[in-house]
Amino acid sequence: MKKKTNKKKQIKKKNISVQKFQDTILNLQKYWGNYGCVILQPYDMEVGAGTFHPATTLRSLGTKPWRAAYVQPSRRPSDGRYGDNPNKLQHYYQFQVLIKPSPKEIKKLYLKSLSTIGINYKDHDIRFVEDDWESPTLGAAGLGWEVWCDGMEITQFTYFQQMAGIECKPVSVELTYGLERICMFTQKKNNVFDLLWNDSGIKYKDVFYQSEKEFSAYNFEHANTDFLFKIFEMVETECKSLLDKKLSLPAYDQCLKASHVFNLLDSRGVIGVAQRAVYISRIRDLVKRAGSVWLETQT
Amino acid sequence: MSELFLELFSEEIPSGLQKNAREGILKLFTESFSKLNINFKSNKSYSTPKRLVFFFEGISEKIEKKGITIKGPKVDAPTIALDGFLKSNNLDRAEVFEQNTEKGRFFFAKISPKIILVKQELAKIIPDILNKYSWKKSMRWADHSLTWGRPLKSILALLDNQVIQFSFHHLLSNNLTFSDEIIEEGQKKIKSFKSYLKLLDRRKIILDQNLRKQLIVKQIDKVCRTRKLKKKLNEKLLDEVVDLVEKPNILVGKFDISFLNIPKEILITSMQQHQKYFPLFNQEDNLTNAFIIVTNLEDKKGLVKIGNERVISARLSDAKFFWEKNKAQSLVKQVGNLKSINFFSKLGTMFHKVQRIKKLGTMIADQLNLNKEKVEISASICKVDLLSDLVGEYPELQGILGSYFASAQGFDDDISIAIMEHYLPLGLDSKIPKKPISVAVSIIDKIDTLVGFFGIGEKPTGSKDPFALRRTAYGLLRIIIENNLSIQLKNLINYSNTLYLEQGFKFPNQLNINAITNFLRNRLRNYLKVKNVRYDIIEAAVSSQVSGDFVSLYKKCLTLNEYLKKDLGKNILTTYKRVSSILDQEKKTVNLKITGEPNSILFNKDEEKLLFNQINEVRKYFSSVIKNENYEKTLEILSSAKKTTDNFFENVVVNDKNENMKKNRLELLEMFCNTFDNFIDFSKIEGA
Repeated sequence: MKKKTNKKKQIKKKNISVQKFQDTILNLQKYWGNYGCVILQPYDMEVGAGTFHPATTLRSLGTKPWRAAYVQPSRRPSDGRYGDNPNKLQHYYQFQVLIKPSPKEIKKLYLKSLSTIGINYKDHDIRFVEDDWESPTLGAAGLGWEVWCDGMEITQFTYFQQMAGIECKPVSVELTYGLERICMFTQKKNNVFDLLWNDSGIKYKDVFYQSEKEFSAYNFEHANTDFLFKIFEMVETECKSLLDKKLSLPAYDQCLKASHVFNLLDSRGVIGVAQRAVYISRIRDLVKRAGSVWLETQT
Repeated sequence: MSELFLELFSEEIPSGLQKNAREGILKLFTESFSKLNINFKSNKSYSTPKRLVFFFEGISEKIEKKGITIKGPKVDAPTIALDGFLKSNNLDRAEVFEQNTEKGRFFFAKISPKIILVKQELAKIIPDILNKYSWKKSMRWADHSLTWGRPLKSILALLDNQVIQFSFHHLLSNNLTFSDEIIEEGQKKIKSFKSYLKLLDRRKIILDQNLRKQLIVKQIDKVCRTRKLKKKLNEKLLDEVVDLVEKPNILVGKFDISFLNIPKEILITSMQQHQKYFPLFNQEDNLTNAFIIVTNLEDKKGLVKIGNERVISARLSDAKFFWEKNKAQSLVKQVGNLKSINFFSKLGTMFHKVQRIKKLGTMIADQLNLNKEKVEISASICKVDLLSDLVGEYPELQGILGSYFASAQGFDDDISIAIMEHYLPLGLDSKIPKKPISVAVSIIDKIDTLVGFFGIGEKPTGSKDPFALRRTAYGLLRIIIENNLSIQLKNLINYSNTLYLEQGFKFPNQLNINAITNFLRNRLRNYLKVKNVRYDIIEAAVSSQVSGDFVSLYKKCLTLNEYLKKDLGKNILTTYKRVSSILDQEKKTVNLKITGEPNSILFNKDEEKLLFNQINEVRKYFSSVIKNENYEKTLEILSSAKKTTDNFFENVVVNDKNENMKKNRLELLEMFCNTFDNFIDFSKIEGA
């Protein structure tokens, strides 16, 4: 008798475990919210990754404890494929968790979070594969792993050592879940556009296909580069003036703008190798100053 | 006799750090033990991603410290010195006495014999050692002061069944380990190393990396036997995988057979590099669609296998898509697109490079008597694959993929192989190109690189060689020597320089061609070392000004290296040294300009004339064999001068009263040395 009920339970569980894209986001929010994270909304600007949200960059600085989780739409203009590639997108979602100081039981917390989105760590080969992270634009570096689930990378797990050129003390831990990849895994789909978004039959394609196509055309062909070069200069000037006025958050916003404009110029192929390093270091200098000003203005 | 057992449990330590940690910490232990006279019978160190374990058996329980007298500071030294002495030796002022020595009056103290419990000592030693160990790469976490490879979670330290109590930063040693190592839960008390192993055994964890390796290999062998397949284990990957798991389990995955149509290097790289799988081969050594996955758990529900198969198949579909696309893109038509790829900021784009080496190609084709067209075509398309999506995804397959594209587009085999092989050699011992067209393209590509970087003054300095110029030069040298090539390097270097200037590149200082050939000579030094050539012969070769012909220089070294052990070689050397030592002596005492041009009219003894004639014979020989010198024969000829020289010294006094006679005899000796130095700079050879 007991066996039978177990089986039934399993079948039931299996059905639940095929989570729709939006369920995955909701379940992660709920899980980390219960843990005590501030559940934030995405930052309202174009960013390359969840890490760029000030709730991660700036809040990882200084000694004040901080726990936050949020989903962040991320833009990588040069990864666009006009909606033709089953794995690559110029716009995708990351789910980001940042906890300072890093809790002792973070691995357990992480593994249990996977169970809430349909990946039972006891049934899968979850591996922590060395991956040291660096963001030259943010002046940031960390040590950690990429987490593999049955050979597929599903999360970046990083202990920040440095941010905005400043030593992190205490150290924050950052978890970045690749939501599309995770759902492709749990929904067993080979094409990101086939992902089920909700229970009413809406697919990822219905939401984002046209946008991928149009933005790829913009990123690769139509973005006005003269205009973008000018914006970069203007944004840089604005940022410096805001830094002089000790307004760290508006100044940091300008860094984000500069970074996105740079990414667009890069995907338009108008930045040479030598120039590239120069642009990156210009942004990094701004981020470093923004980080210092932010720290100074903490009470 | 006791046993010491230490477990350092942490989050996953990268495989690349484990070996160093288990060996390095063990070494610190044994060093510390020997310093403190703590004896032990055996020691072991183990690692898994989560554990570093050290185990010593047969440890002495007590150390007897013999009584000794120790010397302190001088009596008249400032009091601070005495205070320091007292403090560092834990002494009272009353225990110190004064005594005279040869160097003055000093403080002394007698340390009485003591018996120290090893357990107490270990409580000090272990945290010291852990603090001392320096990781290749380490990190901080939370708000702790400790830096470690990855977050350290617990320290289990037992001497027999007793906890060795100490603190290490924020951690306290204990006798606990996690019973659920995955989520680090359930603290389990451990009584001994044996009971620890039992616990691990129940969790199917294999602590010993060597056993893990054996088990993995054994299981792969079993798969191969039953499926009649062959493994070709990549040892580096195997070692890495062994240190990525603690509960190894083997699965056999498969991908769709249609993927076998794409280049096998792509499949193998995807499997090995990206996914850490082991590809399997059939009896004919062809790649199959089966591969080994080493997992860290049993795949009870079969989900792990399916998951892995889906991942590799997604990767390979991507690769297949790009393969179909890239192989259809004409290499020739794309050459112009190389303008979008930088070679080096001050040396232009890859398009510039390709234009230069294409022209160098005509020169080397002439020198080596090769089909000019083939060299030119290979040179112009050898970099085009850098533009492909596939090389973007698999940068380590540059050249190899270009070769596949060329074959698919109907290029001659010589050309497609040259595209692949022109990057060789990749490492110090890796293979070099042997096919003529490959050799030619490989040489000119390397010369172009060397000339460019030397031109803009980016020479390697000290241990820094960011553009791998030493490796490039070494490769160039190997290709020339091992293919026995007689090429005019200087002409090629000169022409390469001209080509840069023609393209409008400005070299701040005029390129020094000798700087490049000297750079190559110094690489020859390393190459000869590897071939176990005597170091003085190497020095002789490097300092020889005889020719830029590295093949002959190399062969001379080998021949001399062999014959210096034999009479033939010894004869040459004794003769040469006898002559050169007199010359050196005279040169030291008298300020004479000696050019090596004796005047035969001034000879007044037969032995002088005979020696002069003999030297001229040798000179004639050298000019007759410029092309096809037989180095053994050369040595025989040099050696045959011994008798004449000996006769000369027995019957002629160099130090004649007549200054003119004396100078002329010195000229004769100088001529002798110069002639011998035609072979190699004998003055650098030691012995005789």
